[in-house]
Amino acid sequence: MISLAGRDILHSWGKFVFTGVGLGLLIGATLTMAGVYRGMVDDAKVLLSNSGADIWVVQKDTLGPYAEPSSLRDDVYRAIRGMPGVARAANVTYLTMQVKQGGENASDVRVMVVGFEPGQPGEPGYLVAGRRITRSHYEAVADVRTGFELGERIRIRRQDYTVVGLTRRMVSSGGDPMVFIPLKDAQEAQFLKDNDAIVNERARTAANPGLNRPGVPGLLEAIQASQTTSRSVNAVLVQTQAGLSHEEVAEPIRRWKHLQAYTRAQMEEILVAKLIATSAKQIGMFLAILAVVSAAIVAFIIYTMTLGKIREIAVLKLIGTRSRTIAGMILQQALGLGFIGFVVGKISAALWAPFFPKYVLLEPGDALRGFIAVMIICTIASTLAIRAALKVDPATAIGG
Amino acid sequence: MDGFGIRIENMRKRYGEGDTAVDALKEVNMTVAPGEVVGLIGPSGSGKTTLLKCLGAVIEPTAGRMTLGDEVIYDDGWKIDDLKALRRDRIGFVFQAPYLIPFLDVTDNIALLPMLAGQPNAASRSRAKELLEALDVGHRARAQPSQLSGGEQQRVAIARALANQPPVILADEPTAPLDSERALAVIRILNRMARQYNTAVIVVTHDEKIIPTFKRIYHIRDGVTHEEAGEGREIGD
Amino acid sequence: MKFDAVWVRRAGFGLLGIVLLAVFGYVVVRTGPFAPVRVTAVTVAEGSVAPALFGIGTVEARRAYLIGPTASGRVLRVAVDVGEAVKAGQLLAEMDPVDLDERVSALNASMARASSAVSAAEAQRQDAQARKQLATINAKRYVELGEKKFVSASVVEAKQQEQTSADAAVSAAEANLAGARQDIARLRAEREGLRQQRQNIRLVAPADGVVTARDAEPGSTVVAGQAVVRLVDPASLWIRVRFDQGRSAGLAVGLPAEIVLRANPAKPLPGKIVRLELLSDSVTEERIAQVAFDSMPAGITLGELAEVTLQLPATQPGPVLPNASLRQRGEQAGVWVLRAGVLQFVPVRLGSASLDGTVQVREGLQAGDRVIVHSEKELAADSRIKVVEAIVGKGA
Repeated sequence: MISLAGRDILHSWGKFVFTGVGLGLLIGATLTMAGVYRGMVDDAKVLLSNSGADIWVVQKDTLGPYAEPSSLRDDVYRAIRGMPGVARAANVTYLTMQVKQGGENASDVRVMVVGFEPGQPGEPGYLVAGRRITRSHYEAVADVRTGFELGERIRIRRQDYTVVGLTRRMVSSGGDPMVFIPLKDAQEAQFLKDNDAIVNERARTAANPGLNRPGVPGLLEAIQASQTTSRSVNAVLVQTQAGLSHEEVAEPIRRWKHLQAYTRAQMEEILVAKLIATSAKQIGMFLAILAVVSAAIVAFIIYTMTLGKIREIAVLKLIGTRSRTIAGMILQQALGLGFIGFVVGKISAALWAPFFPKYVLLEPGDALRGFIAVMIICTIASTLAIRAALKVDPATAIGG
Repeated sequence: MDGFGIRIENMRKRYGEGDTAVDALKEVNMTVAPGEVVGLIGPSGSGKTTLLKCLGAVIEPTAGRMTLGDEVIYDDGWKIDDLKALRRDRIGFVFQAPYLIPFLDVTDNIALLPMLAGQPNAASRSRAKELLEALDVGHRARAQPSQLSGGEQQRVAIARALANQPPVILADEPTAPLDSERALAVIRILNRMARQYNTAVIVVTHDEKIIPTFKRIYHIRDGVTHEEAGEGREIGD
Repeated sequence: MKFDAVWVRRAGFGLLGIVLLAVFGYVVVRTGPFAPVRVTAVTVAEGSVAPALFGIGTVEARRAYLIGPTASGRVLRVAVDVGEAVKAGQLLAEMDPVDLDERVSALNASMARASSAVSAAEAQRQDAQARKQLATINAKRYVELGEKKFVSASVVEAKQQEQTSADAAVSAAEANLAGARQDIARLRAEREGLRQQRQNIRLVAPADGVVTARDAEPGSTVVAGQAVVRLVDPASLWIRVRFDQGRSAGLAVGLPAEIVLRANPAKPLPGKIVRLELLSDSVTEERIAQVAFDSMPAGITLGELAEVTLQLPATQPGPVLPNASLRQRGEQAGVWVLRAGVLQFVPVRLGSASLDGTVQVREGLQAGDRVIVHSEKELAADSRIKVVEAIVGKGA
């Protein structure tokens, strides 16, 4: 027995391929959409993985440091370092800001400035170029997505930093690329204002008679100095000793240090379930609509193709072709269309994904699910055409 | 397959029920011997098409008896279950237009029927080739239907009708779109094939050009058949 | 026309399908999780590292002077302005003396009066001495007369008593005179004290220097110890450098330093550590050292930011690594070593590091080992890798 579907596809392959490519681009858009969602989740996860922490200690009653602002005194880490089960603890600051990039015709790039202590949790785990920070000041490691190159200078607030290393996939939960700088510089950058603001602030303090008392020399200077120094960080990253559950270590910190401590699982829950929940639903809706649209288009295409062959189908039925054979033909065509569409879609998604401003993660699992979904959608979509074909009266071939 | 190719006795067909019922066929009696070509003529609305559909087993008659070869297939009800197999294996169809399957080449258009009947591909194709040779279109075996002339297409259609060696071929106005020369050629072929493959052929037509070629003619008027002798003009082979 | 249509189409369609599937296969294998991780690798070399310390400091003056009055008072005038160079002893500012001069005049008057008192006492003493001489002569004569019995004994005793009284009167007059003289000395001392005070409200430069601040203007009142004018010795400028405690090993007085001033980053200046403070900052976790310039640059400003790099002596030769190859796995630092195409995590113990990112390995590696430096992703032992020249930029 020859394959009727195959012969039909071969006969009108141009139409078939172009339809398949069109459908493929639509499927590509759908896969990309799923990739955008996976990318968001992955952004959140790499943020957690890259920090290298098992527990995040943040200000009490906050969801910090990623989902909410959190501020801790920077000597807290010493107390935490002494808690049972804590292997390493390090201060870290996070500050999202715009930095100028690209010299002459500079453009702004939105980055998350991470202040970390070299050799401690919070440091980027691996580099794609350059070296780690060796000076305790004014050196930076930037993500390639920022567009900075080795040796370039980044101006963050009042200081210039030299890019000595590049990372990849180091992003905030919002997908902003990271710039790593030494903690002390970051503390200054986070809390230090620009020069005009500092001068204004000094004048304002000096104008306050309560703070600028005659007969108390040095008071004003002391106050002004205290205003410009920062002794805060956003979180303390904790690594637990091997063999202890994270919760076991986090619980005493919560109880005795009056700080909030999140384990990796809880942090993931915060980032994935709370921070990107709305976006995820948004994308989910879009995905659902795209799936429905794809299904409708496949159904429409197959239906039209079938209607174009109604006479042939009548003849086939009249000469005794079984309904199963005809249904099989239409189903095979629908699946073939779906297959071409899926292949084209997967290719196109993979080709255009790197050009997205945020990370798009195309998971093989998603592709597999997508393939199954496409096949199911094509099967369902072809039922309409199959019904139409089966309703064709073979008698119509006789007598015009 | 002695005796007759097809025989119809007292066939009736009523559409609808009660007051609105219409009797399309009132009394039809036909007998066509293997190798014989008979004409079935009648004006529009005489029940010609209804009869053809009944004979082609695509609609069910209301009453009567139909014998194909030596098997009664209808006696106030279908006597066999698989009408599709019946149509496929034991009735050949030739239509007004060739109605070839456009996405199959000439050979496969014909070979499709044996294939549907479960024959192996190679046997089906050699059967198709043999038929195409017999119909002088063997050189177009690999052509697509759209590349053939009207006459060639009609020959391929006839070849397809013969593909499963049916005892009867129903030809529905096979010459309508053709000029007289080609129309006569088609009838000539049908005659030749009927003899060669020992098949009964019923040609439904109102084409004046070909009516004189029949030896026997069934007139149908208001659902009743009347057998007449035709002119039986020789048209050669 | 034997192999027309169907075959051409079939071939074309098949070709298209093969191309599509090939691209698909490429896409599946080359992108996403199935793609090999691109890495760069380096062969561990034998070498020594020149460790260096890096710190940030500000320019400060070793000798800075706050010039202010010793007693609260009002500023009368300020003689110098910011930026002016002054010599030792030069008048910088003067406080309002208020009543100091009047008090000196009063003391002068008191001293004049005291001199008069001394004269009076002198006169009384001379008078008493005259009386004493007379009384002595009289007493002597009456004693002789008494012996000759010309006068009665009682008369003689009376005369002797007169002589004793006259002696006492002389002593009293002498004491009086001494008291008057002491009064003068006291008044003189008091006047000297006031003069000192009068001198003190003149604020003079204790040493050569440059005025850095003029903190009070004439008419304003300052408390004792509050500065009116600030001076620094420009020859004593140095840099107070803070070094991260964690990276301060090897810090020692006398180490040569390279100073980069913010005002002139292109020109590093030589210097050396001259003082190392024993007290380190426990809050910022930094050690503090003072670095002096070998030769004082011109145009340097106080409070200017400076970056200081200290070169420590080079270490003993040993296997060295770029620090980008170090990975942290839990509490363990190590590197990914490529042995016969298989990745292996090798824990290492590190020695000194240089500022250009080279680290010496004390334990765990030998020269000649292939070590992964950069990678596109976090590696695992079963990662599929592809060694490339560079992951980003040229050669990628």
